[in-house]
Amino acid sequence: MIAQQIINAVSLGGVYALLALGLAIVFSIVGLINFAHGELMTLSGYALLASLVLGFPFPMAVLVAVSCGALAAVAMERIAFRPMRSASVTSLLLTSFAVSSLLKVVFQNGISARPQAVAMPGWMTGAFSFGDFTIGVGPSISIVVSALALIALEVFLRRSVTGTAMRAAAEDFDVVRLMGIPASRIIATAFLLSGLLAGLAAMLWVAQRASVDPLMGFTPVLKAFIAAVVGGLGSLPGAVAGGFLLGIIEVLLQATLPAAIAPYRDAIVLSGVIAVLLLRPQGLIPAVRVQRS
Amino acid sequence: MPSLYRLHRAALCAAVFGVAAVSTASAEEIIIGAATAQTGVLAPYDQPALAGLRMALDELNAKGGLGGKYTVKLMIKDTRSDTAQTATVAQELIDAGARIMITPCDADPSISAGQLTQPLGIPTLTLCGSAPVLTGAVGDVMFGTYPADNVQATAVADFAVSEGKKKVFLLTSPDTTYTANLPEYFGKVFEKKGGAVVGRGTFTMGQPDFSAEITNIKGLADKPDLIMTAAYEPDFPAFIQQLRGAGVTIPVYGADAIGTPTIKALGKLVDGVVYTAAGYAEPGSKLEAFNAAFTKYAGHAPESTYEVNGYEIGLILDQAVKTAGSDDPKAIRNAIANLRDFEGITGKITYAGTNRMPLRPVALMRYEGGEGKHVETLIPDAADVPAP
Amino acid sequence: MLSVEALKIRYGEVEAVRRVDLTVDSGEIIALVGANGAGKSSTLGAVAGLVPAASGKVVFDGADITGLAPEAIARKGVALVPEGRRIFASLTVADNLRLGGAVHQPAAEARVREEEMLELFPVLRRYHRVKGGNLSGGEQQMLAIARALMGKPRMVLLDEPSLGLAPQLIDTVFDLIAELRRKGLTILLVEQNVALALEIADRAVVLANGEVVLAGTAKELASSDLVRQAYLGA
Repeated sequence: MIAQQIINAVSLGGVYALLALGLAIVFSIVGLINFAHGELMTLSGYALLASLVLGFPFPMAVLVAVSCGALAAVAMERIAFRPMRSASVTSLLLTSFAVSSLLKVVFQNGISARPQAVAMPGWMTGAFSFGDFTIGVGPSISIVVSALALIALEVFLRRSVTGTAMRAAAEDFDVVRLMGIPASRIIATAFLLSGLLAGLAAMLWVAQRASVDPLMGFTPVLKAFIAAVVGGLGSLPGAVAGGFLLGIIEVLLQATLPAAIAPYRDAIVLSGVIAVLLLRPQGLIPAVRVQRS
Repeated sequence: MPSLYRLHRAALCAAVFGVAAVSTASAEEIIIGAATAQTGVLAPYDQPALAGLRMALDELNAKGGLGGKYTVKLMIKDTRSDTAQTATVAQELIDAGARIMITPCDADPSISAGQLTQPLGIPTLTLCGSAPVLTGAVGDVMFGTYPADNVQATAVADFAVSEGKKKVFLLTSPDTTYTANLPEYFGKVFEKKGGAVVGRGTFTMGQPDFSAEITNIKGLADKPDLIMTAAYEPDFPAFIQQLRGAGVTIPVYGADAIGTPTIKALGKLVDGVVYTAAGYAEPGSKLEAFNAAFTKYAGHAPESTYEVNGYEIGLILDQAVKTAGSDDPKAIRNAIANLRDFEGITGKITYAGTNRMPLRPVALMRYEGGEGKHVETLIPDAADVPAP
Repeated sequence: MLSVEALKIRYGEVEAVRRVDLTVDSGEIIALVGANGAGKSSTLGAVAGLVPAASGKVVFDGADITGLAPEAIARKGVALVPEGRRIFASLTVADNLRLGGAVHQPAAEARVREEEMLELFPVLRRYHRVKGGNLSGGEQQMLAIARALMGKPRMVLLDEPSLGLAPQLIDTVFDLIAELRRKGLTILLVEQNVALALEIADRAVVLANGEVVLAGTAKELASSDLVRQAYLGA
């Protein structure tokens, strides 16, 4: 039972970590909390649905959906954020809210206000048994996919020049440009990665929820924001730590709170977040940023 | 002083529209205000119901209007599935001269609109809000139209008992009256008829993850043979996907809110799920004829029984205006409250002697192979229905 | 090689640079000296593309580079070693160098270049896998210069290379600058330590309140009364 809840926590935490990482990557480079990140997820969800309706095999549909998320993120940067590049952080934030609301309305009016069912393949319902211990296929997929995505991202950031440049840009963007590395490439890559992460997270999210709806992105982006802040805004390891912490706290509370207090679950989680921030105002693993005069 | 200026302008607008309302609401016209959700979580319920109502009103207008006398002007405003916004648009509709108010498919926004219409005596009907506490919370102008939660729950419980189910797990959410109370009504009837409630769990609407609840269900010492919930979209798909994904095969029963195309489209995932509807279109029935007519009217088949329920609201209003013989809101209210054995499309509808939640049949349905199959239609024994 | 003509820089209402004209010929070291806030760093920033010019022109190799993005100017062969070194603290020495040569050359060439840099700065070889933030100030300065040189620039802009360094380290850094010039690099040096700057430079330009107040050969300036009184404390 306890082992089971640990698996639940890791599975949920992994999804939160992917989401928080998507926000953190963009924030670390351009200082923008992209609240339209959730709509990238929604878009990927609809792309999955469309691909399945068109009769694509499931793996192909997932590929299409994740690519859609990534491309949409790049397009979003191109169309909405690039013209605002020299604007203040507040203007960027408002722009991201505007993009988010706009996309929601487009989904509602263009597709449907009603959730659309996404029938997951049958093998996703079921469980592996080890003696009297069972682990569901759903959580297993979440855990494996999150772990692989985190490892792949880590390898990219460590080994590739662009990845290294992104880590450097998080510290000091101007100096990266002084090295002759184009700002647009770094920013576009940041959005591409965040879109990929949003797409992957959307797949896990939809696999667990079996439907997509226009407002689907709201809760995840909120959780991601909380996780990213707890972890240390703009810090990538922090985002991962924050995501897992949030997942663990949520599952723990859900599993143990008596029914009478259960409605206060979210309030308790947020109080915990405030407590963490009081103890560590910069988050669990603060971002490295150069102090400039 | 921009705010003052704006206020001034708003007052001016209201005045202009007020005049307009008076001038257009001539003796032969009656305004029905529909404060309903075009967007948000309630939209999937309000929209089909509203489509049915609209069809009825179009047909009635072609025959001279409500009671053959009063041409209906239907004014629709979006509540965005928000309770506060519902009150705002309800007030706008009242200001525009609405004499009858239609409210969303949920108790909370319906109550917030009802608090505005009650002092004015404007009869107010919820599209498919089914909480039995709803009408009592507002007062004598508020009417339910759909089978009430406690009636539906009794029907499902009767059925579960007849199937030989013994132990139930209740999954509720405190977020709405519907999700909080319906499973509890079920539990009361189920226990009274010899069953046992072996566990309870709660969720928050929009909650991403049900794994902890599911693990609790798996860990119960006394294994349930049934899970009863009133969760709906998108929580119901999420719950059942994760439940089956965790390898739990216990049947899940719900109520009317999961009788939607979205849930049906989940296919094998929802095989065996029992839910309720306001009626079932047996061959040769009036409902079957309605469905055909609706398909012609809307260009698509009804998604659920919310359409026919909306249509029946139109018929009820027509009958009430006919009985009242006027467009006076108070007279219309009294006429609705005294309706007895009114022949709707789905069966007989009675308000007389109730607390304004109608007595009407409940159809039990079961998903099988991606289709909703009719199990039986019954009117629960009034003595079995738990008090709200 | 580089000419700055009537450069003006504004930060909001504040005029940081009112008018700067200067030229740097190929193979020269030009020192830009002056008190704190005289506009030296702003001038370098404008040349490198980090700071927008309010008016005036920067010409490099006959091409107008005013208003180009920093990355575009870097690709033309101008490298800035910024004030305060600004090495990437969370990246290893190796990664810092790698980024320096990232886009200018194929990977194989970059590796050859890195080897050259490690020859030139043996300390960087020793700390190759150490994070930049763990190096001492002098080592960081070496790294910052090596990183700038990775892209094989033809001109280097050095902003306060002596700042915050111990005296013997300052000597090392300046020996290195002299060495780079011998190898044919053109250098524009901003330095508060005027004596040191005049010692190494061919020519110098003195800024005060955002304007050029004096220009000439290093020797002339070192003996000018104004410079002696204001900057050399004599």
